[in-house]
Amino acid sequence: MLQEGAGRKKITYFDNACQTLRPKQVLEAINQYYLKSSACSGRSMHSLAAEVTRECDQARTAVAKFLNAARKDEVVFTRNTTEGINLVANSIGLQKGDVVLITDKEHNSNLIPWQTMAKRQGIVVKIVPSREDNTFDMDAFAKMLAQQGQVKLVSFGWTSNLDGVTIPAAEVIKKAHQNGSLVLLDAAQTAPHHKMNVKALDVDFVAFSGHKMLGPSGMGVLYGKYQLLEKIDPFLVGGDTVLSSTYESCEFLPPPEKFEAGLQDYAGIMGMGAAVKYLMDVGFDAIEKQELLLNEAITAELKDFSRLKLLGPADPRLRGGIFSFTIEGVDVHRIALMLDQMATIMVRSGQHCVHSWFNARQIKGSVRASLYFYNTLEEAALFTSSLKKIGKVL
Amino acid sequence: MFCIVSFVVLGILGIFSASNRQLAGESLDCVLRRVTLRPCNTGFDEKMKAKILGFVIVRSEGGARLLNRFFEPLSWVFFVLLMASSIWSVRGLYLFYTTGSCNGLNQAGFCVFDPKGSSNQVSGVLQTCKVNPPTQADLTLKGVDLSGFPVLNADAADKIVFIGCYHCDFTRKTYPLVRQLVNKYKVSFTFLHYPVKEPTDYMTRLGMCAYQQDQAKYWKMNDTFFSTDKANLDDTSWMQTTLAGLGFDTVKLNQCVADPQTEDTAKKQMAEITKTKFYGTPTVFINGEATVGPKPYRVYAILLRGLFYWLR
Repeated sequence: MLQEGAGRKKITYFDNACQTLRPKQVLEAINQYYLKSSACSGRSMHSLAAEVTRECDQARTAVAKFLNAARKDEVVFTRNTTEGINLVANSIGLQKGDVVLITDKEHNSNLIPWQTMAKRQGIVVKIVPSREDNTFDMDAFAKMLAQQGQVKLVSFGWTSNLDGVTIPAAEVIKKAHQNGSLVLLDAAQTAPHHKMNVKALDVDFVAFSGHKMLGPSGMGVLYGKYQLLEKIDPFLVGGDTVLSSTYESCEFLPPPEKFEAGLQDYAGIMGMGAAVKYLMDVGFDAIEKQELLLNEAITAELKDFSRLKLLGPADPRLRGGIFSFTIEGVDVHRIALMLDQMATIMVRSGQHCVHSWFNARQIKGSVRASLYFYNTLEEAALFTSSLKKIGKVL
Repeated sequence: MFCIVSFVVLGILGIFSASNRQLAGESLDCVLRRVTLRPCNTGFDEKMKAKILGFVIVRSEGGARLLNRFFEPLSWVFFVLLMASSIWSVRGLYLFYTTGSCNGLNQAGFCVFDPKGSSNQVSGVLQTCKVNPPTQADLTLKGVDLSGFPVLNADAADKIVFIGCYHCDFTRKTYPLVRQLVNKYKVSFTFLHYPVKEPTDYMTRLGMCAYQQDQAKYWKMNDTFFSTDKANLDDTSWMQTTLAGLGFDTVKLNQCVADPQTEDTAKKQMAEITKTKFYGTPTVFINGEATVGPKPYRVYAILLRGLFYWLR
């Protein structure tokens, strides 16, 4: 896709926070299933089914290794981050009056499920405000933990898709656990960019998606501590979740099977396995280094662009691969469309599914360039020069 | 205004491209909102403005700056131009349908539907240069004595007067169409042979003599002359055989043609024809309205029976 040809200009893909492009290895893994081993996993006894079962098991093992999970059974395959969060929201037995803490810049996927639970179950959703520069306010968090009574769950976006800021997860988890609260991390924007060590963090749940980390779309993962997964009831139930059933009752399988209802996306699971292997081969040190290099270059080049307002902290080291901005007096969609028209630069414009943050501040939206390790300095230079031209004209 | 201009332009481009079709749909939504006095909140105009600016900016920053600054006034200019060109196009289409030329009857300006101007081609009359040569406006039947010329359905109310020559290509193209019209609507049809090509003087006299001898056979002869290969008209043996075949007394016919009195009458007839101020063949008067050049059948039919001739 990054190559010029077939009637298309060379593209500069800076919309990686929405979804990344896929390497051949992932596409081959997906094709492998449909071309060579298209059968059911776990159900049938024949050799083809055994092959699929083995491949899916290997993918689960790869994801567990990617997360440094204690065991592969802590990896539940879902459709995406949203499904993972909904699974937790609907399964951990939230009761009326239970408090769930979220931050003020959550993606709708980590906001709407809690709002819905508040309406249905009567839980209380509290918002932890960020600092002025949009970084995480640990003091505010600690104060709210102490003041809000029984905080049942802390559900935070680990890395923000709005501005790229990553919260200090280890400290958050430590404080939450000291308070007796569970922690769910929305890692949709973390998994593609940063090394995750769930065992060391002692986090309870982590949800992320495949499509933002070179994997297939419609494929996600929910990590959960095994003892927690064992305790909670499944959200979606049906085929493949039970050991046996009678007309009156059923006996659920142990995790992760009891959470994976219905026939699974085997091709997606294999693609997900290939994606995490690919990322581990590239290495997160290299990924972070390249993203920082690009973000530093863009930030430095545009520092004198007075009408450009950056969202989030000024220091690119705190923003990972995100460069989110507005230009005074110019519609954000116009900027995005012009970048595409001028130089085939793909960026996202709008409220990035963080409507609540924008609406609270009465900001219409922002333009977001989200970088990844396959982006280059030449592309960054093209982006900044195009942006400067737009600034001169509009 | 921008969405209206866009809708028209994209609607046309959409015939050929699916992506433009989608944009045309968006612009239509925008147009419908504007005409019902609702704001166009679909973002269409913003999207298109961005695309246009993105296209222009890489070619000329100054141009993009101007475009951005005067986008709305420019939209109005394009809207007015679009309306003007649309009206002009509809007018051109109507005129092409009714007269065979976008510019009106017998007008020779460029017409996109007839780029070669084929409906205005004429075989020019051999005349010496004049300071004020006759034009379409000068064409008339007033003061022209048509009594000596061959006429079919003389009593019919609608009258067609056809000036043409047997050897002229454009006349040969037009004659069958007019004949078709005459046969269908039984209108009065007067044929005036004018020898634009000098060697065809003989044909004028032959026509006069044939008409005198037998009117019914004359029209068969006329039809034969216009349908046969042009080269046959110069072939004496073919001519004699054909006339005989049509039932003419060729001896009497040849005597009549050679008679100086016939030549004298022919000259008088030529003089009458020139009174029409015609400048080329074919020139066809339909109820007094002159057409010059080979028009499509519908043009003659419309002049005769009106715009909806095909309903009658």
